[in-house]
Amino acid sequence: MTEGDYRHVYIIIEHEEGKILQVSLEMLGEARRILDDFNKKYSSNEKVVAVLLGYNVKEIPKILIEHGADAVIYADSQELRYVRNTIHTKVIAQIASDRDVAANIEPEYATQFKRPRYMFFAADSIGRHLSATVLAHMDSGLASDINKLVIGDLQITHQNKTGGKPLTYEKTLEMYRPDFSGFLWTTILCLDNKNPAIQKDYHPQACSIIPGVFEIIPSDPSRDGKIIEYTPKFDEEDLKVRIIDRKIIKSEIDFDSHKAIVSFGRGIKDSPEQNIKLIEQLAAELDAQIGISLPLSKKPFSVSQTVDSTYLIPDRVIGISGRKVAPKLYIAVGISGAMQHISGMKDSEFIIAINPDENALMKDECDIFIKGRMEDVIPVLIEEIRKQKQVVQA
Amino acid sequence: MDPINTAVIVKLEPDFSEGNVSYNPDGTLNRAETKNILGPHSAIATAAAFYAKVKYGAKISIGTMGPPMAESMLQQAQLISDADDLYLYSDRIFAGADTLATAEVLKSGVQKMGKMDIVFSGHRASDGETGQTGPQTAWKLGMTFLGHVIEYEINLENRTVRAKRLVRMQGIYDIVEEIEAPLPVFIAIDPSYKSKFNTVSQRLDYERYQKEAFERAKNFKQYLKVFNAVQIEADPKLIGISGSPTIVYKVERIPKGKATRQAEVIDGANQEDIRKVVARLRQSLSTMVIK
Repeated sequence: MTEGDYRHVYIIIEHEEGKILQVSLEMLGEARRILDDFNKKYSSNEKVVAVLLGYNVKEIPKILIEHGADAVIYADSQELRYVRNTIHTKVIAQIASDRDVAANIEPEYATQFKRPRYMFFAADSIGRHLSATVLAHMDSGLASDINKLVIGDLQITHQNKTGGKPLTYEKTLEMYRPDFSGFLWTTILCLDNKNPAIQKDYHPQACSIIPGVFEIIPSDPSRDGKIIEYTPKFDEEDLKVRIIDRKIIKSEIDFDSHKAIVSFGRGIKDSPEQNIKLIEQLAAELDAQIGISLPLSKKPFSVSQTVDSTYLIPDRVIGISGRKVAPKLYIAVGISGAMQHISGMKDSEFIIAINPDENALMKDECDIFIKGRMEDVIPVLIEEIRKQKQVVQA
Repeated sequence: MDPINTAVIVKLEPDFSEGNVSYNPDGTLNRAETKNILGPHSAIATAAAFYAKVKYGAKISIGTMGPPMAESMLQQAQLISDADDLYLYSDRIFAGADTLATAEVLKSGVQKMGKMDIVFSGHRASDGETGQTGPQTAWKLGMTFLGHVIEYEINLENRTVRAKRLVRMQGIYDIVEEIEAPLPVFIAIDPSYKSKFNTVSQRLDYERYQKEAFERAKNFKQYLKVFNAVQIEADPKLIGISGSPTIVYKVERIPKGKATRQAEVIDGANQEDIRKVVARLRQSLSTMVIK
């Protein structure tokens, strides 16, 4: 690997009929911040490059530049109006290894450029799959569902990667992903094999990024950048995959139209069936929608079929792996407060937690922490709500 | 018309049900104490293949990469789907694989099953939760990848599939997209998938195959083939640790963030305090609140 082989961070932008998804701007913001530090640290001049595929999207590149991109490569074609995995994968891979495009971004490395150094996708319905297939195509490494990024020079001793010898990996992207419990952070690295026996370059270093984690850079109309149009090549065979219909639907579990949400977690464990009934009653008093934490969707309790299929379902999960909500009132019952859950509800206006454990992380994320077992607290709450309602009605 | 050949790739995962799952005092999963089962998303994918058996008379082969003990998980999958063949890809050289190196093994394994029209996978594993292995296996197999599938039908004559996919657009809306693709396709099944058997003959076939599944699963080893890396002709450079671009550099506890709110702590047994809580809670719901 020589200087110039791998340069820049390429970001795959998502939009719906020209409306840019927030997460795309969040990725641009984070890329701008880490690349500014990178360029200072390494006295370099690598770029934040947005990659945009779509139809009638000529207005979007300017917006992407205003939010932090140095360059935008876009392909505008009717065939790219909606995402079809195979077609999008091939076009993204074409763009990412196109030397003419790279020369347009940065002429001095025109002859060396092989691939992007880093590549970001959104960790959503589209980006998760697209990142997987693009990186399978480019034969490099991918970390999913990232919420922190650091670039550094790391000394690595690894039986395979370095043949057991300590070697320095420069400009390595440390990709932090929270595990399913929300308590552990795993740092993933994508490393070239420097071990002579199995020598191989693995670039780009790629990840998918959790929506809602990083800050968007406010729009700055004075920012300047390069806009490059790309004419993609399609395989006839791939065009046989046809999108026949698209229907906008509302989730059956509607959180947005409720002012209050009552959520429960593993704290229901002593008597799951009865406790869910209690939560139902509390929610009914408040006209609240009912949510759950991620572990509950893995169906850890044996409850009646009705309760199971009504409540312990992915559609009710609030958190990174589920919905993001911001009601006026959020009541968290028996939820420990793992980051997984917090990021889905932290913007609620008023938060009450019910939990017997005062050391629960949830305590730092709520306005009122009711210390006690839900079995004891909820009946009293319900009784008091009914009383106060009566006063008003009288 | 040629019959439809389907494969399902499944995964052995920790059993997260209470009583079986064990957590360490710090809230992390105690893997040594936790039992392993057919992952819930793998189970849904298996049920989706069974739909093809009942409705189209499809043949089903189920494959997994895992340790020898994963064979009982294949038995579970056979019970759900009346699978005709079970494949366990097991080799020490597979250990330590990341998603790309796992996909390479599964690709070779599926190719060993014969020519497939549809390959099913689950949405994601409940422990790893990357959701990458399915699409990467699809890509390596050169199959059209359809993710988040909630319904599908096969046109036996045209050799096409028509599927509905649930696409969530964060911050905008959700979409159900209907897509048509020539076989072969790779389908990652959405967690909300449910098979529907509408006609009497489908329900009769359903019962017949279920009975057969029960009998087959009793003698599942008769249907089981165990293959190592050489037997599936996997390229040793592309599998296991040596075929993995990524490594786990470190695992740490997520540090406790700064408290974002200053909580008032209330004793749940104090009726008077609860009264005040309810007053504030009601206030928060009233639209008259001026912040």
